[in-house]
Amino acid sequence: MDRNQQRPRSSILDSLGEELIGILTPVSICMFTVVLLVCLLNSDPSSSSFSSIATAAYSETDSDSPWDKLLGAFLNSLVFVAAITVATFLLVLLFYLRCVTFLKLYMGFSALVVLANLGGEISILLIDRFRFPIDSLTFSILLFNFSVVGVFAVFMSRFSILITQGYLVVIGVLVAYFFTMLPEWTTWVLLVALALYDLAAVLLPVGPLRLLVEMAISRDEDIPALVYEARPVIRDDSRLVQRRVWREQRSNVNDDDVENNVVRAEEEEEQRSEEISVPLIDSSSSSSRPETFLEGIGLGASGAIKLGLGDFIFYSVLVGRAAMYDLMTVYACYLAIIAGLGVTLMLLSVYQKALPALPVSIMLGVVFYFLARLFLEVFVVQCSSNLVMF
Amino acid sequence: MISSGQVWPTIDGPLGLTEEASVDYARRFYKFGFALLPWLWAVNCFYFWPVLRHSRAFPQIRNYVVRSAIGFSVFTALLSAWALTFSIGGEELFGPVWDKLVMYNVADRLGLAGLA
Repeated sequence: MDRNQQRPRSSILDSLGEELIGILTPVSICMFTVVLLVCLLNSDPSSSSFSSIATAAYSETDSDSPWDKLLGAFLNSLVFVAAITVATFLLVLLFYLRCVTFLKLYMGFSALVVLANLGGEISILLIDRFRFPIDSLTFSILLFNFSVVGVFAVFMSRFSILITQGYLVVIGVLVAYFFTMLPEWTTWVLLVALALYDLAAVLLPVGPLRLLVEMAISRDEDIPALVYEARPVIRDDSRLVQRRVWREQRSNVNDDDVENNVVRAEEEEEQRSEEISVPLIDSSSSSSRPETFLEGIGLGASGAIKLGLGDFIFYSVLVGRAAMYDLMTVYACYLAIIAGLGVTLMLLSVYQKALPALPVSIMLGVVFYFLARLFLEVFVVQCSSNLVMF
Repeated sequence: MISSGQVWPTIDGPLGLTEEASVDYARRFYKFGFALLPWLWAVNCFYFWPVLRHSRAFPQIRNYVVRSAIGFSVFTALLSAWALTFSIGGEELFGPVWDKLVMYNVADRLGLAGLA
């Protein structure tokens, strides 16, 4: 259509609805699955002898006073955030030295560990809970298949979009479920600490994630991390509209010519570089290795919205922890997180650069959790026990 | 979806692979599937679904995809026969061996059911 050539540079607001759905759906599926797992497996929140780096400084027990618990939670979060900072700087260093193969191998290895180890443990818990009469041979074949294909999906650059997205969501669900097993106070303080860390790491000039993004922009490569990339929007007679925001800024071309877009699309198809993954490390093993997830939201190579897997994980941890209290808090936190994500996407469309996706959502989520728990629950219970409402 | 007269071999359409790369991928998936990976064969069929639908186009890719589909069906038939016999037959068919093979007991014995 001719209208295309006269349209000013198409901004992300044009197809925001479709892209929003493309990001909200997997986030919602991840959160829903974690809530489902928490409700089904009914893990007693105070019984966990769960040890990881996040409980290295202090393990919460029921008998401690609130002040002790708070202090312990602070120490735990400090240790965890420090570990993540170190690991992220290591990632920046490796990316700077162009150790691309190593990062890719590490990503494949960590995906394998998460899928096989954590996935296997959760399936065994589910089988145990439901007494499902599956035999060990079938189970091991299925688990083996599932994890190896998952490694392929994450490792290989040109793979079925739907399957890669599915596997990334599964990895997010598995890691998030394990994080919900942390002690309660530690979880909440950790979430707030990570939101602040994310803010600092992406926005400060010295922050590791910002360095990573700038290096990726200058080299015109994809950031090496486990990131969920929504399916790029195809419109206008099924020709791919490339919104290569970073490249446009560099070459300073005000491009509203569809022909140009198509040509560039073809170039990028060839040089679409690999998605390299973040060092995602198993949290449940006794060797306390730090964990690194790339947090943040940005625009991908084809203009599709990218959301780091760390964001999926910590949103789901928040909702999962809310589910351990009651479903009312789950609804409140879910709405808060989706609202926060919407705000972040709006900011992304305004600022057009990588933004931290954790802070707004986590802050809203935490605030709403405590408001719901302290005030809403009393109100609802009183109303329904007096047969006024609900 | 056919755009400008071209049929794309992968299910992702214009976002997926070109025809030349597809042959390579289809072949690799087919070969790797022999390592006890029927799910990889299924993924192969899923990914190259347009190849199965349009039976005239892409003869090379179709070769591998059809063989993957056959391999997947055979493997699934065998595995589900075994799994269903095991779960439906239960103790009456197998005797005490059933308790030794069933997953939740194996997990208990090996200590896999607990976390951390």
